[in-house]
Amino acid sequence: MNISAKHHFRAYTPAPITREQIDRAEILFGGLHWRAERVVEAVFENMGYRARALPAATRDDLMTGRELADIGQCCPTSFTTGNLANFLRAEAERIGPAAVADRYVYVTAGSCGACRFGQYHQSYELALRNMGLEAFRLFLIDQKKPDQGAAEGGGLDINMPLTIGAVWAILCTDVLQGLEYRTRPYEVQAGQTDAVVGDCVELLHEAFRKRPYRGKKWGTLAWHMSTGYFINVLREVFRRFDVIEVDRLRVKPIVKITGEFYLQTVEGDPNYNIHRWLESEGAEVYPAAIAVWLDYLIRCEVQKLEDKVGVEKGARAKLAALRGAQRLFRWSFDRMRAALGDIPFEMPDQYELRRLAAPYFHHRLSGGEGDMLVGKALWTHKKKKAHMICELSPYACMPNTMSIGAMAGVTGKYPDLLYAPIEIKGDAEVHALSRCQMILTEAKKRAIREFVEVMERTGLTPEEAKPLIDAHPRMNRATYRIPQTGIAAGMAANTLLQLAGARGTRKAA
Amino acid sequence: MSEADRAARAKLRVGIPKALNVWTTHQFWLGFFQSLGLSPRNVVFSSDTSDEQMREFGSGRGTVDCCYPVKCVSGHYGELIFGQKRKIDILFSPMIYSLASFLDGHAMDSLACPRVMAAPENIKAGFLREKDVFAENRIAHVAPLVTLAEPKLVPRQLFDALQGVVPGLGIEETARAVEEGYATLAAFNENLRARSREILEWCARERRPCVMVLARPYHMDPGIGHEIEADLQACGYPILWLQYFPTDPELLNWIFRADLAEGLIKHPFDIDDVWPSSYSANTNEILWGAKVAARVPWITCAIRLASYECGMDQPSFTPVQQIVERSGTLFFSFQELDSTKAAGSVKIRVETISYYLERNSPGIIEAKLRHMDPACPLLRRPVSADLPA
Repeated sequence: MNISAKHHFRAYTPAPITREQIDRAEILFGGLHWRAERVVEAVFENMGYRARALPAATRDDLMTGRELADIGQCCPTSFTTGNLANFLRAEAERIGPAAVADRYVYVTAGSCGACRFGQYHQSYELALRNMGLEAFRLFLIDQKKPDQGAAEGGGLDINMPLTIGAVWAILCTDVLQGLEYRTRPYEVQAGQTDAVVGDCVELLHEAFRKRPYRGKKWGTLAWHMSTGYFINVLREVFRRFDVIEVDRLRVKPIVKITGEFYLQTVEGDPNYNIHRWLESEGAEVYPAAIAVWLDYLIRCEVQKLEDKVGVEKGARAKLAALRGAQRLFRWSFDRMRAALGDIPFEMPDQYELRRLAAPYFHHRLSGGEGDMLVGKALWTHKKKKAHMICELSPYACMPNTMSIGAMAGVTGKYPDLLYAPIEIKGDAEVHALSRCQMILTEAKKRAIREFVEVMERTGLTPEEAKPLIDAHPRMNRATYRIPQTGIAAGMAANTLLQLAGARGTRKAA
Repeated sequence: MSEADRAARAKLRVGIPKALNVWTTHQFWLGFFQSLGLSPRNVVFSSDTSDEQMREFGSGRGTVDCCYPVKCVSGHYGELIFGQKRKIDILFSPMIYSLASFLDGHAMDSLACPRVMAAPENIKAGFLREKDVFAENRIAHVAPLVTLAEPKLVPRQLFDALQGVVPGLGIEETARAVEEGYATLAAFNENLRARSREILEWCARERRPCVMVLARPYHMDPGIGHEIEADLQACGYPILWLQYFPTDPELLNWIFRADLAEGLIKHPFDIDDVWPSSYSANTNEILWGAKVAARVPWITCAIRLASYECGMDQPSFTPVQQIVERSGTLFFSFQELDSTKAAGSVKIRVETISYYLERNSPGIIEAKLRHMDPACPLLRRPVSADLPA
């Protein structure tokens, strides 16, 4: 029996990494959608690192994750753990475990929450132990500290230029994703949108790789806020979308994706490729922008400070500063959205979401999307932003199940809100998609019904609308904006309303 | 406060679901309401969790599939609404966001589990889905969000929630009641810790083994933890719950002396060496309890209780087991606990644990004592591994 103090169990701590060592290594990361990951690679490169996003997680990764870490994980933990483990295992077979520890490091976001997201690294560490790769270095980035300094050894510096670059990469790719999803379901030539998006992501990658250096602290923040550098690149993105011809008279239900961060963000096996599946089933997908999540995180901090006003010294000043920062963040997103013709969906106001959710879920209950999940569902429904809400929740996700439970009260009060909570285990695709399809069938009927109502309201039929659109060729381009009227959710119905408004035949509401 | 308010308060009846983190905070709520002038007899807790309670009062009220400790709260709500001889006026179900933990100041945070803190919102939905059951029964559902780890914020949280429900309530009076609540809770905890110390002193004196329970507070509920520890106690082994382990500095410094001397920790309450993501109060305490169990010579066995689908316990399964087992201390876990007590298999496992305890405890005590300072505060005279049992 070996029980001296030194031999007691100790948690994993990564070995220090020096600048020389990190120059030899490649930084691995993942967990976002492919557009954001590709551009974040450029942010690392811009800071003098070599970085690579892990390949999209697969069902094999899920199985490996389950095998290597503790029983009972939520599926995002299994997917991400298995994703890292399979990559490292393959590399270890190719170059040996010692070389893997030397040539790769993994960087992941840590959270302050009590949910498992804050403890994902425990699973990674256990997997590393179980694979005999304890020497591999894994670093946590605190998602609340943009300038947390150098990791031990000084090689990896999580500083303001790196963090702000990653946030801007996310904002840019969010608006690009928004434009993409508003375009692809209506493209006339199949595959054209994907080709343009691929080019645009490379364009953004290049722009972020060449991003000018503007100091280590506030200088870089001020520059990102004020520069036209990224706006100009997004304008070029917009120009490239202009070649895409669209037919917006296709009647499609809009499906708002919401749910747990990882499952709503990634596009692949972890969520049964649900974005593409919904499009293949005839829907327009309203994706979940990562920016909305970041905005929510800021709101959570604002709320903590709100509670401290009058109790803790300095809380009021901190609150004012943080609210100001939140306004700047939202303004930056809006600038980028404007560069893409305001076509991507706007960011909902966090405080409106809070107000909407208040009767059903307390805004301070944290973990997962909290009250935002409830607020987004109501916001989408009341403002006619989509016909249906598809909520992706990992099996056994602690916080999300609570928000879903509170949704029982919402659907009781709003029985016409089409809400599809899909519990995702990662290996029960048919079951999940068939549940989604049942609600989608109703959403399709609603989209048709709504279109017919708008036809009656405007006195326009698709046959009459087509020549009107052809008379204005700009309307056939992906870069033409059809405003969301609040009268109808669907693109086709709003197109009729737009035409009727232009022609002066729109009847009074 | 006017005479009329005083009289109204004396009649006011409050029902509190005896579930989740109320298991370690009930004394706070008793102290708080009594300070506001409510009669102790009018602060009613629901019964222990049971299948019967759920069947009779909670059936059909569930809104989502989650762990049993949260799901069963529907039964507690139902019992307080429908099962009281004297009707309650307020169903008080605090959303405890953070807990006052003895590890405060040594951990990154002291949050409650996201499911546990949100349970009242979730359970409430089941009583509103078809009709407003609270309104129908003229019961005010009061579910304040309470940050017990941040005492300064608590008065306003409770005042905002209870204003208009408790007649004539004022903020200053609420602040005094909160202080009283903390004092009552502290006195209760101190009392139980003193009793745990008595058990440890007896074990040290008599060279007898005891068992540490590593579990969440609500596993003390016979309907959640299924009284597994009571079965072990019936075999003759004293039981210690980590939540009430004595925290006297003298004793803790003795337990962690080697770790402190080698600079592995800065304080006996540090858990950074085993659990860097120390955000969750109950998880932090379980990890700390495992460290204690690994070091205290007379704790020869730790049992881990975890409920089915507990996402908070899941990442800590291996660290807790490793902490305990690497010290040579026996470790047994009862995972996936649910509504039904698997009485047959529990009996077999308790017999197994008892067998190992009987066979291995003397050796474990002896081996662990060899690494401890002989000047043990639990004994008036120094202990040595070589002393006859």
